[in-house]
Amino acid sequence: MPAIETRDLQRVFSGGITAVAGVDLQIPEREIYAFLGPNGAGKTTMVRMLTTLLRPTGGSARVAGLDVVEEAGEVRRAIGVALQEAALDPLMTGRELIVLQATLHALPRGEGERRAERLLDRVGLSSAADRRVGTYSGGMRRRLDLASALVHEPQILFLDEPTTGLDPVSRKSIWEEVSKLNREGTTVFLTTQYLEEADKLADRVGIIDDGRLVAEGTPDALKAEIGRPHLEVVLSDGRMDRAEEIMSRFGKPLPAKDGAALVELERGAAGVAPVVRALDEAGLVVESLDLVQPTLDDVFVAKTGYHLEGSEGPEAEVDQAVEGDS
Amino acid sequence: MGLRADLATIRALMRRALNEILRVPGAAIPGVLAPAIFFLGLSAVFGNLTLLPGFTSESYQSFLIPVSLMQGAGFTGAATGVNLARDIEQGWFDRMLASPAPRPVLLAGLVLSASFRALVPAAFLLVIGFSLGVHWPGAGGLAIALLITMGMAIVAAAWGTTLALKFKSQSASPLMQAGMLVLILTTTAYAPLALLTGWLQEVARYNPVTQVVEAARQGFVGPVTWAETWPGLLALAGLTTLLVALALRGMARTAD
Amino acid sequence: MNTLRVIGALGLRSIKQTFRRPQLLAPILIFPTLLLAIQVGGAGRAVDLPQFPEVNGFLDFMIAGAMIQATLLAGNSGGIALALDIEMGFTDRLLAAPISRFAIVLGRLAGTAALGALTAIWFLVIALIFGAHIEGGVAGAFLIVLLVTCSAVAFGGIGAAIALRSGSASVVQGLFPLVFVILFLSTAFFPENLLLEPARSVAEWNPLSFIVDGVRDLVISTFSAAQFFEGVAALALMGLFGVGLSAAAMRGRLRRG
Repeated sequence: MPAIETRDLQRVFSGGITAVAGVDLQIPEREIYAFLGPNGAGKTTMVRMLTTLLRPTGGSARVAGLDVVEEAGEVRRAIGVALQEAALDPLMTGRELIVLQATLHALPRGEGERRAERLLDRVGLSSAADRRVGTYSGGMRRRLDLASALVHEPQILFLDEPTTGLDPVSRKSIWEEVSKLNREGTTVFLTTQYLEEADKLADRVGIIDDGRLVAEGTPDALKAEIGRPHLEVVLSDGRMDRAEEIMSRFGKPLPAKDGAALVELERGAAGVAPVVRALDEAGLVVESLDLVQPTLDDVFVAKTGYHLEGSEGPEAEVDQAVEGDS
Repeated sequence: MGLRADLATIRALMRRALNEILRVPGAAIPGVLAPAIFFLGLSAVFGNLTLLPGFTSESYQSFLIPVSLMQGAGFTGAATGVNLARDIEQGWFDRMLASPAPRPVLLAGLVLSASFRALVPAAFLLVIGFSLGVHWPGAGGLAIALLITMGMAIVAAAWGTTLALKFKSQSASPLMQAGMLVLILTTTAYAPLALLTGWLQEVARYNPVTQVVEAARQGFVGPVTWAETWPGLLALAGLTTLLVALALRGMARTAD
Repeated sequence: MNTLRVIGALGLRSIKQTFRRPQLLAPILIFPTLLLAIQVGGAGRAVDLPQFPEVNGFLDFMIAGAMIQATLLAGNSGGIALALDIEMGFTDRLLAAPISRFAIVLGRLAGTAALGALTAIWFLVIALIFGAHIEGGVAGAFLIVLLVTCSAVAFGGIGAAIALRSGSASVVQGLFPLVFVILFLSTAFFPENLLLEPARSVAEWNPLSFIVDGVRDLVISTFSAAQFFEGVAALALMGLFGVGLSAAAMRGRLRRG
């Protein structure tokens, strides 16, 4: 039984605005599935429908095997939700908030308090637990939001843009937590506008644009579908035409860029060594060599015709934070 | 979900509603002061209406105080609506809606908190009133007045909630306040029915809140009798049913 | 002269602002109207009391109070609008421009004046529809509009002063209950000789009483120069107070930077 399943799911708002124009999804249990798309693509509307906050105007959706409209109450019992706003009451303390969530989920008081303690510890908020949420930083709020979504140990977790607006370190800690949850058996459905997030976290990615699913698959499969990696070579003595001639034996030549000769590699990374050997045999000295993989942005551009915003900058920072100095 | 869980949810939501008064210094003051200001002001301005033949009380303050109690209840209930509108605007309410707590339980948590919060301006008002010579209504009269105050707060909170759910914005708050004020003042608020003039007399005759005001008023201006009490309780029950039904419908429609 | 143009432009802006947001306009007109209707119905028999002044009807008596109540609310609302401008930084932009400091306040007051005139006309129409008589006739009606408009400006000045001093819309908003306190302690709703203490003593010297009585006199009797000029004097007093306060507040704001 899929954890999340939708058939031609639609949502049209009054005024004729179509936010979701017929989406089919089949998400198996224990998968991390990322919905990737720009603002206004329909991501939040999808999440709201799947979490019973919004009624679909067409099609159907089943979460944990339950219909989101007919069995809304039971769906709410099975899911954990952390929405975009990280809407937290600034007058409450972190602990009180999680305990309230526990009460809403009908957990007895003692049990709620025990779980709150464990969860606060897990997300690193133990020391701030009894401070008012109004004093928390953005990263702390997201972590608290995540913790409170977990208090009833849901099978399926919905995260709407969980790291938007966070600094790289906070973002990384959320990713680690989500991965860990998934390893423990939780299905995760998350929406994001960050390519890096989808690429690194998700088992499968669905690209949504203008209310429609335009592509779906594992990050690698999507990238492979778009194209193969290419090699960028710069020679120290500038005999680029010679380089291009040699390289064209190993794959399709691409337009030169910034003084570098480009060739698409049929066999991916395995094709690098032969090229290097051939250049070497021809007496050409390589100054720099770059193997460039297609990115999800390339996938996005191919499917939608434009770049996803936010694909640069924050991602580069996050890369450095995560990769260290590689 | 089980009765125990529902009661725990209601208790938790009521506790949260109290934070507004307990944890924000000065937040309670406007709601507590406003009815008292109106009580003092209106009784100083219109006090001599008691000179009119046929006025049912010698003390205008004793006559007016139940109206001020109702006003306090009205403000408190409207505040519930304003707070909900803010919670909706900021996304907090989504958290409630996405949880398995049934909608009626969420509503109960909201409106019941108002009924207890209304006792704060009521107490303040009564202390001022009694110190100025308002007639002591007896334990029974006082109990009825306070019970009715709490009931009116529930009505006002249900009204505020309905508007908050419909408009999803704090800008609806004047409507919340004004609606209750009009309801309460188009009764025998200023004078007994026989001494009201024109359109107001007709409206007050049929306005159910007139019964409510009269029931709350009886101890302050005369003896407390069952005959005076039951119409008010009935009217209150009717209003509560109507407005709670509207609020529940509003809750059900949040996903539309 | 450029200052006049600036005042005109800012005035137009503040007028447009007021009338483009009906949810702000409504409380200023609707609320006093509702209260008027309720109070006339509720306390209308007061005209039967021997000490009550000679009037055509209770509505005739109450109209003036309703108008002044509305102008107080308009002044409060203008103050809130100015405070919002300050919070938003719009006022800083104006202050950085080569325009007279006072043009900024006067521009805001132009909006409030327009509101005042509208208020007077609104209640005059209501009075006529519901059977009141304007004993002062057409000339009286004209003077009423003038007096009420000037009240709006005077109260607006005080509201603006508070806005300039505090720079916070919620502070100005918080003064809303004060409007009712001042009204209760005046002859806005009942004749002075029938008020109870302490309202009676306060109403005796409350400038608001003089203003209301000035307007009321034009409704319930033929022109009395004494009443009229007492009203004008009280208005002038409040106006000067408002101007003085605004000037001081503006200076303070500029000094603080």
